[in-house]
Amino acid sequence: MRPKNLRPINTSMAIPTIPRPPLVLPGFEHVRRNWNQTYESYAARLLPGEYYVTIHDEGVYTTLGSCISACIRDRVSGVGGMNHFMLPASADADGWKSTSLSAATRYGNFAMEHLINVILKNGGQRQNLEVKLFGGGRILANMTDIGMRNITFARDYLATEGLRVTAEDVGDIYPRMVVYFPATGKVRVKRLRSLHNNVIVEEETRYLSAIESKPVGGDIELF
Amino acid sequence: MADNENIVKLVRGVEGLVTLSHVFVRINQLIDDPDSSMADVAKAVSQDPSFTVRLLRVANSSFYGLSSSIDTVDKAVSVIGTGRIRSLALSMSVASSFAGLPNDLVAMDNFWRHSLYCAVIARILARKTGKCDPEAVFTAGLLHDIGELVIFNRLPEQAKEALLRVLDSVDDLPIFEAERQVLGFDHAQVGAELVRQWNLPPLLMECIGHHHSIGEALDYPHEVALVHIANIFAQMAEIDTLDPEDVSAIDLRAWVMFGMGADLDIIEDVVREAQEEIVELEKLFIDNAPEKSAAN
Repeated sequence: MRPKNLRPINTSMAIPTIPRPPLVLPGFEHVRRNWNQTYESYAARLLPGEYYVTIHDEGVYTTLGSCISACIRDRVSGVGGMNHFMLPASADADGWKSTSLSAATRYGNFAMEHLINVILKNGGQRQNLEVKLFGGGRILANMTDIGMRNITFARDYLATEGLRVTAEDVGDIYPRMVVYFPATGKVRVKRLRSLHNNVIVEEETRYLSAIESKPVGGDIELF
Repeated sequence: MADNENIVKLVRGVEGLVTLSHVFVRINQLIDDPDSSMADVAKAVSQDPSFTVRLLRVANSSFYGLSSSIDTVDKAVSVIGTGRIRSLALSMSVASSFAGLPNDLVAMDNFWRHSLYCAVIARILARKTGKCDPEAVFTAGLLHDIGELVIFNRLPEQAKEALLRVLDSVDDLPIFEAERQVLGFDHAQVGAELVRQWNLPPLLMECIGHHHSIGEALDYPHEVALVHIANIFAQMAEIDTLDPEDVSAIDLRAWVMFGMGADLDIIEDVVREAQEEIVELEKLFIDNAPEKSAAN
């Protein structure tokens, strides 16, 4: 029989010690986080429509096709986070244009406000906020440029709010992976190969039809 | 080995769906037949009018950079040589050969663009290093990922799971690793098996089978290493970057084999040259691929 008392020793030698994940802010428990060897840090994985704010030194990452992500942090306290969204696309067609355009904008406003408000609620100061903007790629040649629409919205929103964009990598034809560390402001943007286009488009299309089928108005939680 | 059996079965499953063009098969037979002549090869080419037109287009393009104009098949065969005609026939027909294997995971034009980048870059590197036959590694480069098309067509759910794992990983999980995790084997192994069942030259089989595992190459270590490097450079050309950090790492043993280092100047020269050549080559090698069979 195998001596049982050896097992704990074996386990501790075989498995490298991975620290516990930092505490999550209320409301973000559903966001999946995992340990990343490259950065020796936890990182939260955002899907379209999600956002995440942290007061700890951990990463937030996502993959973007035509969606856009704003990375916002208080450069003094280090609290910050990322969102991932796009505007509902039903706007451009017909006589309903003005109505649906404002509905689309309202959706974008929600996405930006949620992120900023939670940062402020956790000690961020508006005057300390720095913003980085990513995504809005045109990854399917035969589509209307919905990426550009998202970029234009985000830039307009930030300009109206008086928030300065300190770095951006937007537009072009590539999907991207963005890894952001709010505590330091460090960000890594990687262009992804076209091999990944269809999977990303499928994910974004599912998200788009979800937000377009929901009524927009009042205080409905769109995230 | 259980994995191996699964791969053989998987590839058997596409038998009849992917067929090499008749003209290639015929040329292949003739070249292997000691009694056949150049004239026989030219005759076989002439019997396929659309192939003839495309062959003359390639012969007169900058692909070979020949000074005299090639206006007949006889001349093409004698100037280009039967060995190179064989590689060329395979390269020109491979994209359309896979029309029977459509999938929803990657658009065919994107798939073949990467393959063609790898082919062109392998050819450029072969000329620079002088250690491999440029035409042979061109074909190997063009075919290096064909196992992917088999997996995408036959095992779409698992293939998608592998792609999602890559997107989920901040640690730069390569697609072949993700495939091994999900399937127990990867596209390189599947591609090698396909080429084995087709009785294509062992050089192709090794390059395709080991472009992610160059240490396992047996008879063609230089060709395998070259296709390995070309594959990574192709990724750089594709996403238009010159920073090696943006793509998968190159196995250092590959550089050592050519007595070179991962010199940034080489990367820039090769990637830029490939980007300039790709547009014309897409017309010559990929245009006849029925893109409608791709996802959409």
